[in-house]
Amino acid sequence: MLGQVAKQLKSHPALIPLFIFIGGGAAMSMMYLARLALKNPAVCWDRKNNPEPWNNMQPDYQYKFYAVNTDYSKLKKEGPDF
Amino acid sequence: HALMIVFLISTLVLYIIVAMVSTKLTNKYILDSQEIEIIWTVLPAIILILIALPSLRILYLMDEINNPLLTIKAVGHQWYWSYEYTDYEDLGFDAYMIPTQNLVPGQFRLLEADHRMVIPVESPIRVLVSADDVLHSWAVPALGIKMDAVPGRLNQTAFIASRPGVFY
Repeated sequence: MLGQVAKQLKSHPALIPLFIFIGGGAAMSMMYLARLALKNPAVCWDRKNNPEPWNNMQPDYQYKFYAVNTDYSKLKKEGPDF
Repeated sequence: HALMIVFLISTLVLYIIVAMVSTKLTNKYILDSQEIEIIWTVLPAIILILIALPSLRILYLMDEINNPLLTIKAVGHQWYWSYEYTDYEDLGFDAYMIPTQNLVPGQFRLLEADHRMVIPVESPIRVLVSADDVLHSWAVPALGIKMDAVPGRLNQTAFIASRPGVFY
């Protein structure tokens, strides 16, 4: 099937940008979903060793994907550990 | 009348389909044009990316904490809101809507409450919204905020009132 696609691409090179943008968009959304699944502190994978990851959050670690104005490494830690 | 139009349109569409499918002519006027297709795939994609990047930035910007000076808890009940100002001392009150028959001329119907939520002007304020029984939603369209009140959950929204006044 990949050979078919390659042959059609050679005769219609205008489809290449289409593949690039659609493939790139799908890849970016899958990567963001994977990032959310693995690094979001609201998700628990390992019930034995790390049962409630939302209790171990640090104030100086950036959990979101993009922080515009807040520099998380500069924030202080107030309050006791859990 | 309507049925007549439906039959008319469907007959027309069916005739066009049959005529397109059963013709013996091969169409000589379809041209192959790779260059313009590339252009009108790439250019809109670039335009959309240029729109998306600032939009995502604003999305994350709206989510940031702005060092609020005051925290207010708004808890929804059936059918009133209760506000708690607990930063410095315990202050709480219920805010019921003024029923339409008790309105004084000059007041807005369905918008006025007997105790308003008072906030300092030009200060970042954090509102923690929750509910006591069923789903509610706390919104002040004049300040551009709306946050769902879910029982058992604390939702946070922050705003700054840039001028004095009454906001609905």
